[in-house]
Amino acid sequence: MNSAFIGALMELAEKDTRVLYLTADSGEGGLDKVFRMNFADRSYDLGIAEQNMVAAAAGLACTGKIPFVFTAAPFLVYRAFEFIRNDICMQNLNVKLIGSGSGISVGSLGPTHHTTEDAAVLRSLPNLVILSPATPKQAAECVELAYRHTGPVYIRIGMNKEKEFFGDGYKMELSKNDVVRSGTDAVFYVTGSILEEATEAAERLSEEGIELEVVNVGTIKPFETDSVIQNAGRFKNFFTLEEHNITGGLASMIAEIIARNGLSVRLCPIGLEDTFAKGYGTQKSVRKENALDAESVYKRIKEALA
Amino acid sequence: MSQFDMEQCAQLRKQIFITGYKGGMAHLASCYSCLEIIYTLYRKGVLRYDPKDPAWKDRDRFILSKGHGALALYTVLCEAGLLAEGELETYLQPGSHIGGEPYRREASCIEATTGSLGHGLSMAAGMALGQKLDGTDAKTYVLLGDGECQEGSVWEAAMTASSLSLDNLVAILDANELQKTRRVDEILKVVAWQEKWEAFGWTVRHVDGHDTEQLKQVLTEAPNAGKPTIVIAHTVKGKGVPLMENNPIWHFRLPNKKEREKFLQALQITDEELG
Repeated sequence: MNSAFIGALMELAEKDTRVLYLTADSGEGGLDKVFRMNFADRSYDLGIAEQNMVAAAAGLACTGKIPFVFTAAPFLVYRAFEFIRNDICMQNLNVKLIGSGSGISVGSLGPTHHTTEDAAVLRSLPNLVILSPATPKQAAECVELAYRHTGPVYIRIGMNKEKEFFGDGYKMELSKNDVVRSGTDAVFYVTGSILEEATEAAERLSEEGIELEVVNVGTIKPFETDSVIQNAGRFKNFFTLEEHNITGGLASMIAEIIARNGLSVRLCPIGLEDTFAKGYGTQKSVRKENALDAESVYKRIKEALA
Repeated sequence: MSQFDMEQCAQLRKQIFITGYKGGMAHLASCYSCLEIIYTLYRKGVLRYDPKDPAWKDRDRFILSKGHGALALYTVLCEAGLLAEGELETYLQPGSHIGGEPYRREASCIEATTGSLGHGLSMAAGMALGQKLDGTDAKTYVLLGDGECQEGSVWEAAMTASSLSLDNLVAILDANELQKTRRVDEILKVVAWQEKWEAFGWTVRHVDGHDTEQLKQVLTEAPNAGKPTIVIAHTVKGKGVPLMENNPIWHFRLPNKKEREKFLQALQITDEELG
């Protein structure tokens, strides 16, 4: 997703000189090298100082610039949280925050490098749009959406070679979910690159005659509330999957909609159950260790529907 | 300092007290510490701005990073025609848009929402960079407290500003040597502002922070090319009210009935003026 992000940003930078790239000693694997070569005066590495970078981006936005702030998601969100709150969201400034390696994509380094509460804390901030792409194409679309939206945006992206689910002509819309698989037995809301585990689980269930409707949530906030209300008329069972704590993230979002609208459905949230992810390894292996892989998800859903 | 400026600042001190007292809350001592600095910026031709077009793209910008001096800022903005006459009277009243800390409002040249310390210098660095990218000769000024410099983000911003060669950025340190509960040097073993800022790549200048002539001179002095400037303004917290001067207990309180007389006397305020 990182490459898709930088590619999309290059396209924007070509057509709009207000677009800037800011990072805090990130840009893994020479990711931003091409950007720097092409737009030397619009690319700034502000060093390992995330809170300063976020506030400086706010200052740039005050002068009409459109800064895209890119760095490791945990340090961007947690270290700089108050700066995101006061300088960007409270002042409603046109800054785009891109958290790279979100969820447990940096599996080898453990929980200090995971971002499994970002949606929870950030969704409590007024004025902030939160995008959560599942695939490289969606990540590129998120950059375009963020640019078209005037105001603060956070995009949580992965940094591995995520599987693509969307075709060439795919266009993402703000606050519009994508149904990636139709079904009749239960609805399954998923956000982020863990979509690949969800679809694999859905395929296995399908082989056993259980048809899940898989909905990819690209926009966490503002959430497409109507989709939940309408689906409550079609399904008794709701499942959610997120590479995130089930407290405060996608599951909570949907639970709030269910409660506020008095919907009579059952919600089974799958994610980290109020814990930090355990284990070290690849993203795949850490998912497995935390029961977030396709096999575990398949079992959880099968059990719940039994 | 001219008689005129002295009278102007005395008048502003009165206004600050009257507004704060009526509002029921103000960081009076901090306001009095930085009053001449803000007055010089807006009223003695340092800042370039247009009251008829406050959002003018090429204006100089000023951020009050020590946001608790808000009342001093509002009072000067009112004098400068950037805050509507009468708005001061709404201070802390229900429905008011002006409170104990500034909230960003381009129409009044309030350039940033501050109040949490350690944000202003980073925002100012971003603004100064934006001005450079626009190719204007506009500058950004930012006022910091000396206690505020205990926030780590101040030093992140200090590194950024010199690394980006932001010679259009001028920080002013309101060095009154007091913070909320005690003296700055009771908390910091090494204060050494000059050495610290120089080590971070800044040009350091000093000034008597209550002398408007000296302030004007130092704030309009050309920068060293490629380097941001910090003006260490030596000030007295609570300046103008002997009872308050240099005593940290006054950081965040108003006088009680007994003390009130001494304030009114020092500021030459009549009971009628206080209403």
